[in-house]
Amino acid sequence: MNLKKISPLAWILFLSILTLLGAFLSIGIGAVFIDPAVILHYFTGGNVENSGFIIGNFRLPRIVMCLLVGTGLGISGAILQGVVRNPLASPDVIGITKGAGLSAAAVIILFPELPVIGLPIAAFFGAGLVTVGLYLFAFRKGVQPATLALVGIALGAICQAGIQFLTIKFPIETNAALVWLTGSVWGKDWGDVWLLAPWILIVTPITFALAPKLDVLSLGDDVAEGLGEPVQKARLLLLIIAVLLAGSSVAIVGTLGFVGLIAPHIARQLVGNRHAYLLPASALVGILLLLLADDLGRGLFPPTEVPAGIFTAIIGAPYFLFLLRKLQKS
Amino acid sequence: MKKQWTAFFMLLFVLFLAACGNANDEQTVEDEGDKNQESEETRVIKHEMGETEISGTPEKVVALEFSFVDNLASLGVSPVGIADDNDKERIIEPIREEIEDYTSVGTRKQPSLEVISSLQPDLIIADMQRHKDIYDQLSEIAPTIILPSLAADYEGIIDSFQTVSKAMGMEDKGEEVLAEHQQKMEELRAQVPEDEDRTVLPAVVADSGYYAHNMESYTGSLLESIGLKNAIQSGDDRYNKINLEQLVEFNPDVLFHMSAGDETVVTEWENNSLYQDISAVKNDEVHEVDRNMWSRFRGLISSEKILEDAVQYLYEEQK
Amino acid sequence: MNQLSNQPPFYKYKLFIGLLGGAFLLVVSIVASLSIGAYAIPFTEVLSLLFNPDHSKEASIIHTIRLPRALVGVVVGACLAMAGGIMQAITNNPLASPQIFGVNAGASLMVVIGVVLLPGLGSDILIYFAFLGAAAGGGIVYYLASTGGGMTPVKLALAGITVHLFLSSLIQGIVLFHETSTEDVLFWLAGGIDGRNWSDFSLLLPWALAGFLGALLLGKSLTILGLGDEVAQGLGQSIGWIRGSSALVVILLAGISVAVAGPIGFIGLIIPNIVRKIIGSDYRVILPVAGLFGAVLLTISDVLSRFIAFPGESPVGIVTALIGAPFFLYLASKGGRKG
Repeated sequence: MNLKKISPLAWILFLSILTLLGAFLSIGIGAVFIDPAVILHYFTGGNVENSGFIIGNFRLPRIVMCLLVGTGLGISGAILQGVVRNPLASPDVIGITKGAGLSAAAVIILFPELPVIGLPIAAFFGAGLVTVGLYLFAFRKGVQPATLALVGIALGAICQAGIQFLTIKFPIETNAALVWLTGSVWGKDWGDVWLLAPWILIVTPITFALAPKLDVLSLGDDVAEGLGEPVQKARLLLLIIAVLLAGSSVAIVGTLGFVGLIAPHIARQLVGNRHAYLLPASALVGILLLLLADDLGRGLFPPTEVPAGIFTAIIGAPYFLFLLRKLQKS
Repeated sequence: MKKQWTAFFMLLFVLFLAACGNANDEQTVEDEGDKNQESEETRVIKHEMGETEISGTPEKVVALEFSFVDNLASLGVSPVGIADDNDKERIIEPIREEIEDYTSVGTRKQPSLEVISSLQPDLIIADMQRHKDIYDQLSEIAPTIILPSLAADYEGIIDSFQTVSKAMGMEDKGEEVLAEHQQKMEELRAQVPEDEDRTVLPAVVADSGYYAHNMESYTGSLLESIGLKNAIQSGDDRYNKINLEQLVEFNPDVLFHMSAGDETVVTEWENNSLYQDISAVKNDEVHEVDRNMWSRFRGLISSEKILEDAVQYLYEEQK
Repeated sequence: MNQLSNQPPFYKYKLFIGLLGGAFLLVVSIVASLSIGAYAIPFTEVLSLLFNPDHSKEASIIHTIRLPRALVGVVVGACLAMAGGIMQAITNNPLASPQIFGVNAGASLMVVIGVVLLPGLGSDILIYFAFLGAAAGGGIVYYLASTGGGMTPVKLALAGITVHLFLSSLIQGIVLFHETSTEDVLFWLAGGIDGRNWSDFSLLLPWALAGFLGALLLGKSLTILGLGDEVAQGLGQSIGWIRGSSALVVILLAGISVAVAGPIGFIGLIIPNIVRKIIGSDYRVILPVAGLFGAVLLTISDVLSRFIAFPGESPVGIVTALIGAPFFLYLASKGGRKG
């Protein structure tokens, strides 16, 4: 692969620049197009009237949201793929997002009177509950990655069944839940950003510090133990971190799928398997993916807003097929 | 080396957040400046999400549900923005005639906040079910009131209308319109004989199923209000997917079908003797009605039109 | 070969008990399905009306509404359970089933595409869409799960669920764009048999019978396959041929089920696992018995689904998911090993 000849650091720098550029361009895209010159004027403190209002109140919080959620889901996916030792693991697949989805749907549908802040709390709680379940059901003198993945999938299926039950039992209330269940950064404001930011900003540096542990774990339990790594403890710690990142992201934007699956894959193609590079690269790719999905959702059929979750699936599916060919070849 | 990159990555984030935070602060200051300029009388409107202060007569109003468009049209106000699901045809004829050109602000599920704000409205009326979560953002654009529409019955719709007229500073006009409306409803009610004992059932008829509106639904409760008893007096949900068996069990005497598409489940049922045996079918009391008017609109004008339709079908059109 | 033919009495005995027990439960569940509904018909009258229809409303309800629905349920349930059984045999993997193999979601996506993009297409044409989708979904998962060495339960499950999630979100996206109701979305994600009539049944039956026949013919080969590829080859079986024809039968069984009833999940997962646990690994017995119990499970689930939003209807797929998902968890917590 030619791509691999470029040093991982150069890739990360390139992705960072791309991310900044993407974020900047995204500011202009939407039902109301805003000229880059106007945006620059805005950032240098100029008065650009209503465009300024749109940028400050709608575009920026959404874009910052994409930055946070893309980071959270991307890194969470990379960690899970390392812990489970399978390139198909992701927060969606092993039930974390579904758990958040079920408890959020239950809150939206059964307790519509609850203040808006109740929703992320409930969703986060649901993600946590699934994690406890994961350990409870997968624990056999320690946790094997395979069992962990299977139990996660099964718990996800249970949550999905619960969500379907709620939607059919309460069709009117479901209308509000549907938007949340497809995942969207639509309607997110600075309040939501400040709710999510501490989680992502505190947990992300910790994951970078844990990157060597992931490298060791991916060598297999026996080798890892031989290297003096307490495998079970490390696995639990990493799992909790992955849940914190994915759970808090999903709690705010809904069950946005596929970012956690695809971002680490693309990142791995670029920077290789060392987690010190893989984690930041996954975060950056996650951000880019989400920015693209949201730009499409906002700009393609204005004034109709399409949930970003639909576009992550549409972008994700072809890439997934491409990936499939690649896996087959190697 | 590694740590440097970590730091760089974090730095990007923090910078970005900081930049955004500043931008936001500026905006709030501007907002306050705006508010001070207007010093007309202010009213406090109580609604589902709290209280909102409104001053003067709002001139640019954005309606995020069809029932609010109806409310505004009843008051003689033409909204500048409507969440019409990007389909002007969804605004029923009698109301489209009343209002002037407006800007579509997208779907009712996810209206475009950007378009709403670019219209620079001075009042936004939104639905409790759909728009509760974006109340804060709507409030930053303009004073916003949140009222029940999607999950409301006829009573709730009348309450909403009163709140809307208060918010518009048109309480007197609202009373007037409501009195007229109620008189019209009385007249319609008078056309329903005291001893009317036929049961009615409004239903959305689609390819995927038959969705019956029970006595608590908006259309159902409206018809009940003039003495037309709904065939379904039970059920947890206002809208129930039922099949032929349930329809036979409820055996309504009059059916109002809101068809979605040409091929529907009913096309299939028509070949079944059970369907032919249903009282409404036997007595030729199956009426095709406009779905937009009968179930999407939920307002004063549409209520009158629905009942006019119903009364006409039931009593004037003697075959 | 010897292992099989050494125990003919045992094999017949198990088949007999299994079929008898299954048939008894099936009759009970069909009677329940015919008796329970919004229109109250006394239980005692149901049977007499079933066999001696008069021209009453009750008789019409039983014969034109409840009976075709019950029979569609029976056939679809049998199809799904047998499809699951065959899949578990050829992959030697207890988690294989139409849902986890992406077959259901693939078929569902193709039918949705057909319905949305080419409206007015008859349901007889949509069946081929379903077959195509079933083959594509199953193919992708098989391809993905068998990369890099053998197909372990965890690889299959991860590949299957990922493909399932992808296809489901595409379905959801298409249906949402098409401006339809929540119920539509749910039907194409969960599957249901309410309102199925005789024309659906006659559409279903020939394909299903062909599938059943194929499954029964495959029984012996699948059992030998279970002894391991080398043994099977030593016994003169062509592995490639068995796998290929099994795949065809699975696509037939699962595709036709989805075309008529949507992607009803978990029946193909639960039933073959339970049947295998009870009566051993002889697929000549497993497949027919699994078919019978699949029919029983779907019929009972359909009866239960009538109570979720009574008197409204709910997709039966929700009930099978509520029953099946915990069972999946049970299998998973054992690490997906054969129990």
